[in-house]
Amino acid sequence: MTKKIRNLKELSLSNDRYEGANLMCPGCAHNIIVREVLNATDDPVVVANATGCLEVCTAVYPKTSWDTSWIHIGFENAAVAIAAVQTTYETLKKQGRLPKAAQKLADEGRDIKFVAFGGDGGTYDIGFQSLSGAFERGHNFMYVCLDNEVYANTGGQRSSSTPIGASTTTSPAGAVSYGEKMMKKSIVEIMADHGAPYVAQVSPSKWKDMIKKVQKGYEAKGPVFINAMSACTTEWRFASEDTIAVSDLGVDSCMWPLYEIINERDEHGIIYRTKLNITYRPKNKIPVEEYLAAQPRFKHLFKPENRHIIDLLQKAVDIRWENLQRREEAGV
Amino acid sequence: MAKDIKDLGWNELIPGAALFSFSEPVEDVTEVAIDERPYSPTNSHEYSVGDWRVEKPVFNRDYCIDCQFCWVFCPDISIISRDKKMIGVDYEHCKGCGICVEVCPTNPKSLLMFPEHLENEEALAKWPAKEAKK
Amino acid sequence: MAKKYELNEIEVWDGNTAVSHALRQARIDVVAAYPITPSTPIVQNYSKFLADGYIDGEFIMVESEHSAMSGCVAAGAAGARTATATSSQGFALMVEVLYQASGMRIPVVLTVADRALAAPLNVNGDHSDMYLGRDAGWINLCAYNPQEAYDLTLMAFKIAEDLDVRLPAMVHQDGFICSHTAQNVRPLSDAEAAKFVGEYKPVNSMLDISNPVTHGVQTEEDWHFEHKARQHNDLMNSKNVIKRVFDEFKTLTNREYNLVDNYKLEDADIAIVAIGTTVESARIAADKLRDEGIKAGVLGIRVLRPFPFEEIVNALSNVKAIATMDRSAPGGTFGMLFNEISGAMIGSGKSPIILNYIYGLGGRDTTIEQLIEIYRQLDDCARSNQRKYPLQQFIGLRGPKLSFF
Ligand code: SF4
Ligand code: SF4
Repeated sequence: MTKKIRNLKELSLSNDRYEGANLMCPGCAHNIIVREVLNATDDPVVVANATGCLEVCTAVYPKTSWDTSWIHIGFENAAVAIAAVQTTYETLKKQGRLPKAAQKLADEGRDIKFVAFGGDGGTYDIGFQSLSGAFERGHNFMYVCLDNEVYANTGGQRSSSTPIGASTTTSPAGAVSYGEKMMKKSIVEIMADHGAPYVAQVSPSKWKDMIKKVQKGYEAKGPVFINAMSACTTEWRFASEDTIAVSDLGVDSCMWPLYEIINERDEHGIIYRTKLNITYRPKNKIPVEEYLAAQPRFKHLFKPENRHIIDLLQKAVDIRWENLQRREEAGV
Repeated sequence: MAKDIKDLGWNELIPGAALFSFSEPVEDVTEVAIDERPYSPTNSHEYSVGDWRVEKPVFNRDYCIDCQFCWVFCPDISIISRDKKMIGVDYEHCKGCGICVEVCPTNPKSLLMFPEHLENEEALAKWPAKEAKK
Repeated sequence: MAKKYELNEIEVWDGNTAVSHALRQARIDVVAAYPITPSTPIVQNYSKFLADGYIDGEFIMVESEHSAMSGCVAAGAAGARTATATSSQGFALMVEVLYQASGMRIPVVLTVADRALAAPLNVNGDHSDMYLGRDAGWINLCAYNPQEAYDLTLMAFKIAEDLDVRLPAMVHQDGFICSHTAQNVRPLSDAEAAKFVGEYKPVNSMLDISNPVTHGVQTEEDWHFEHKARQHNDLMNSKNVIKRVFDEFKTLTNREYNLVDNYKLEDADIAIVAIGTTVESARIAADKLRDEGIKAGVLGIRVLRPFPFEEIVNALSNVKAIATMDRSAPGGTFGMLFNEISGAMIGSGKSPIILNYIYGLGGRDTTIEQLIEIYRQLDDCARSNQRKYPLQQFIGLRGPKLSFF
């Protein structure tokens, strides 16, 4: 059942199902994302969590920060975990064996929503096989990647989401290195190419765009992938109060474009149309440099010998932004 | 009185280390406001992280327009908002990140950071005047 | 509603077919599985049962064994009866999640057609996979033939799901020698089997949304030890439930199971201790020696975990020389059975001569003659009351004799 959220005041009527006194860093965007995802619906939600910051900070015995049922098994299996929980729901519902409260809400048309959270390490890297498998099989769930472009929980190592030029603990900048050497993996397109009905990139700073996409995700039948920018005060090394400002710089520079990909299928599952919509167009597309300058993980790029990486990044961002617009126009 | 959880021996633990959010069933948690829930002692809501702060956000009702930016962007569910109205800060759960202050759009701001030890009344007395448009 | 499968009083089934029928009859809610030789037919048969309308639950054909076990753990936490099957490399890939299943106390049933571990790659039966998982906190039941594989699979659900146990359980059978060898099997009817296994009773189900539950927490140095102690305690005590379920099964079928399977041990001077199909071969060898007047016996491990310490000591208390047979490369020490049996005997003040034989790796046949030769060595030791042979010997191996200590 889609919750009516026309404005922020209406959203603020939500009763959070995620609790304070968790152990996340002050200013952590993960928390903002989790709140927006959960508050976008009033249907019951059940969560699976990959190992990572969110998991280790919200379920350290004897405390839980979850007012929804929640499961963590390992680093690489959040997708199959939520898929199996959802499959259990389907079969118990069919067999008339759901627990009472769940049955009652299901009768009111408020079926449980199944959500998995994983960091970029658990999503782009170690959990990718499980994620790909679950998407191919078409389970009905929403996978939310909390993308902070680094293994933050283990002390800031590079992942395949780390952008070129970022200094991490395993791709440190140094006398002869500008930091990370590889371009970020294009996870959104990869997941869309699984044929998922709905795939989107969001930033928690653009709450309205994000809530709308999450709601579309809840409504979609089949696996949904949401890639959420999660500005990390600890590893990106900006001050904790700047989480929203840094996120906005990401969006406004188009380093983190906001868009969605919709695969429309006929009743046989054949995709007859793929649509890409850019959902936020910066009024004034700022130079990537401004986004980089706000984060000390890129500080070394401003040295003369590394400047070419800033140019490279700008070029990559421009080409991608153009391609997105072209795809949008062409309706593919 | 029930034993404090930290005094439990191995034989008293729930197999599998499962934790429960509530101490009694809550049929539809989205209908129950956060301060009215039967939290179990193992819910982090029952704990405080107030001592993480060096500075705290202080709320000034006089300028607030109830836009709810602070509510939506607070990572730690520490902006207390009821019926679309901003009420104040939950100092048990606020970690002092300062996001709420940054996103507050009023002039002067309706939330400002002050040293943790300063009384809120004193902070309110020191509230800056409206800033001239730059 | 699932269709009833008409079964004959006696079916000719190999171990895999027997297990797949047991899984079908257990009315599992969610099976998540991935095929691997030699357990593949279990997964295939199950798929066919599903396709033909014999199954109400769901089958998730996942993309790896790691996901298979993860899916079972999550489904179990959500309130489903779950099971899967695997072997060898697949088992190895599951290992991480085996520990999570037991630590989270999810009563998954895993049927294993035991097979060697690479490298070198080998598809045939030995116990390397079983040994790899033996400390994972699971109940381990061992079948020696298709009938036992069937029986123990049904019983595994009842044991694992018992509210005093709530631990996952494995049922082992030897890859190919048992899994692919057809024998007579007397199945229960679908109704009898369902009644025996019983309705699944969910514990701390994630789908009970009025009682949100957090599964899979982190515990550090202030809690981890207590939780692992609780888990170990409950695994040790599961012995009582295992015995009770064995008894109930006997009442129903007249087929008797015990924690250890004793063969002519009452008066034995020498004994072979083994797991799997070799137990049956050893019984034949023992009989041959008995024809010569040598008092030979066999102890088959039926329940590897929890380890039946007392039962083993009782059964072997008057035996003078014991061969512990390990079908897994020992990797730099003695075989597991040597260590465990020695520990059990010494721990209870007994000091028989105990030898360790490594045999049958990668599906190498072990002949009755080889087993007779082992008994002859034991007999030699028993008569002279002297250990006259190396503590560890490899048998059935080409090249110079390999032995240690
Ligand atoms: S300082 Fe941070 S944690 Fe505290 S109320 Fe403001 S946004 Fe929330
Ligand atoms: S952001 Fe400022 S104006 Fe808006 S509700 Fe919060 S305190 Fe009031």
